[in-house]
Amino acid sequence: MEMKKLSYYINEAKKIMPENYKKKIRIAFVGSFTLNGFEETIQVECNEEKINCTTYNSPYNQFNQEILNENSNLYKFKPDIIFLLIDNRTILGDLFYFTNINSEKEKKKIVDKKFNELDGLIETVTKKIQSKIVIANFVIPTYTSLGIYESKIEYGIKEIILDLNKKLKTMSKNIDSCYVYDFNSFVTKFGEKNVLDYKKMNYGDIKIDFDIIPYLIYEFLGYVKPILGLNKKCIVLDLDNTLWGNIVGEDGFEGIKIGPYIEGKSFVEFQKVIKSLSENGIILAINSKNNQKEAMKVINEHPHMILRENDFSCIKINWNDKISNMKEISNELNIGLDSIVFFDDDPVNRELIRISIPEINTIELPKDPSTYAQILRNLNDFNTLKITQDDTKRKIMYKQEQNRQKLESSTKNLNEYLKKLDIKIKIKLNDKISISRISQLILKTNQFNLTTKRYQEEEIKEFVKNEKMIVGCSEVEDKFGENGITNVFIIKTKSNEWIIDTFLLSCRIMGRGIEEGILSKILEIAKKKGVEKITATFIPTEKNKPAENFLKNYGFKKEGENWTFLLKNKIKIPNYLQVELK
Amino acid sequence: MNEKKLFEIVARVFNSPINEINYESNPENIENWDSFTGFVLLDEIETNFDVKFTMDESLEIEKIEDFKNVLKKKGIKFE
Repeated sequence: MEMKKLSYYINEAKKIMPENYKKKIRIAFVGSFTLNGFEETIQVECNEEKINCTTYNSPYNQFNQEILNENSNLYKFKPDIIFLLIDNRTILGDLFYFTNINSEKEKKKIVDKKFNELDGLIETVTKKIQSKIVIANFVIPTYTSLGIYESKIEYGIKEIILDLNKKLKTMSKNIDSCYVYDFNSFVTKFGEKNVLDYKKMNYGDIKIDFDIIPYLIYEFLGYVKPILGLNKKCIVLDLDNTLWGNIVGEDGFEGIKIGPYIEGKSFVEFQKVIKSLSENGIILAINSKNNQKEAMKVINEHPHMILRENDFSCIKINWNDKISNMKEISNELNIGLDSIVFFDDDPVNRELIRISIPEINTIELPKDPSTYAQILRNLNDFNTLKITQDDTKRKIMYKQEQNRQKLESSTKNLNEYLKKLDIKIKIKLNDKISISRISQLILKTNQFNLTTKRYQEEEIKEFVKNEKMIVGCSEVEDKFGENGITNVFIIKTKSNEWIIDTFLLSCRIMGRGIEEGILSKILEIAKKKGVEKITATFIPTEKNKPAENFLKNYGFKKEGENWTFLLKNKIKIPNYLQVELK
Repeated sequence: MNEKKLFEIVARVFNSPINEINYESNPENIENWDSFTGFVLLDEIETNFDVKFTMDESLEIEKIEDFKNVLKKKGIKFE
């Protein structure tokens, strides 16, 4: 991946027109050294991703004041995400240089004290505002005054930094909104001598080389994308010369290249990286022009293949054009084209997809397959702020969905089909354990979503605490298995009226009347509490057509901008659903 | 040739028209030249001419001509 030079971003940032993109983010940089150039670079990179980005750069080395002062400009800015970068010399002071004057015990005491100060700062931020905070960890220095003897002593400078980083990690595990950015790995990746420039350091306390800043910002964008629900969900792969070397149709089963020898290793490595992503919930699909029988034989029987039939949630191996295949994949998996990343070695195919379906992130691949794995590793598209149990089970759930579709085509009558499915819906109200999954659904559900309001996890926590609000979610299961939490609703309650602020359904379970079942249960609960009227809104977007007629078909009546339902009317629950409140 | 190369870098970094750049250009008469973009310019000149300025050399820079003088000292030819 090649990034442009910093001066490009500085100039380009001035040309950004105030477009009204739907995705908006406020980003603050807070640091102990000069962070100039960061704002411009992230503005340009966000603009390329169609994100409206507003930035703030804290005054030089004032991170303490900015965080501790309640009225600081940082808090006035109201960031959605804060990047905090503090360097070794600032946190450790003289201990960074003169590590061996003090005893081990004294050193540990100093490090504990320094870390507690930092911990206090993070806690202050999390109490004060609902922003994500990303703190860069500390860079393990390559120099130590002890030289080769460093390995013989306890708690030398390298161990001190390791210890600090370990403490940071523990902290971030305990605070939901706090993430540690592995800056140490970043410096390792580019090399200390390329990242740190001592002339600039003395000059303007510029710690990071200009040419490196755009790469760092690209990694920071990996946090921004999932906050806005812009992370990718699916990798679509070509086969010949992408997943293995050579062409199975010409070179045959024995002639393709994959395995433990020079030309085969690149493909093994690439497949292993893909498989590891699929374990974290990224779904895989194939889009290949090939003879299906031959290609499937490789996938199922070749001794060195890492990815097998079961790893793919959708397989299109045929002679149709790749565009129609792509659209079918998107339909069958029920995911937007904009959540797809596409790998194909053929530049013609890539261009074809880029022109006809620009929403898809088509990856530019060089001719050399040994670069594939690293290109995939460097993408910032697959980050998630949470990996939930549902993510890791997703692959199985998509398989179950395929079985459901098979049953559907073998059953003539829809109602009969739905009865056979044996659907059970369990509704939970204000369930703290489910908050992270609820937030995930709120951030990424586009299709069946009445209002498409996006809330961060911290906001949902506030809603759950709020007595005038109800945050609900539903788990759905049927004879083929569990779908997990696939519905969320948020209600603002008044004594005689409930207002549906949010109501959404994961695309996995659309088209089974489940939404009706859940809504009916909500109405029943409201009725029992003496509520007279339910008010809901439908806010149309480019994607939420599936939810357009939901309220009308259920029996809500149009009232100005809103839809209302009077609870003196009869509430009906579809007879094939079992709905219970937990 | 190197004069053109130098002026092109300056014009690109400060996003100003190349015909407005000359040896007398300095932070007073170039709008986008501040302490930070000054570093960026130095960095780009170092990369593009494949030279390194010493700390002292970089501290003495007040206008574009000073860049030329240091570059000449380092063996870059200007007509």
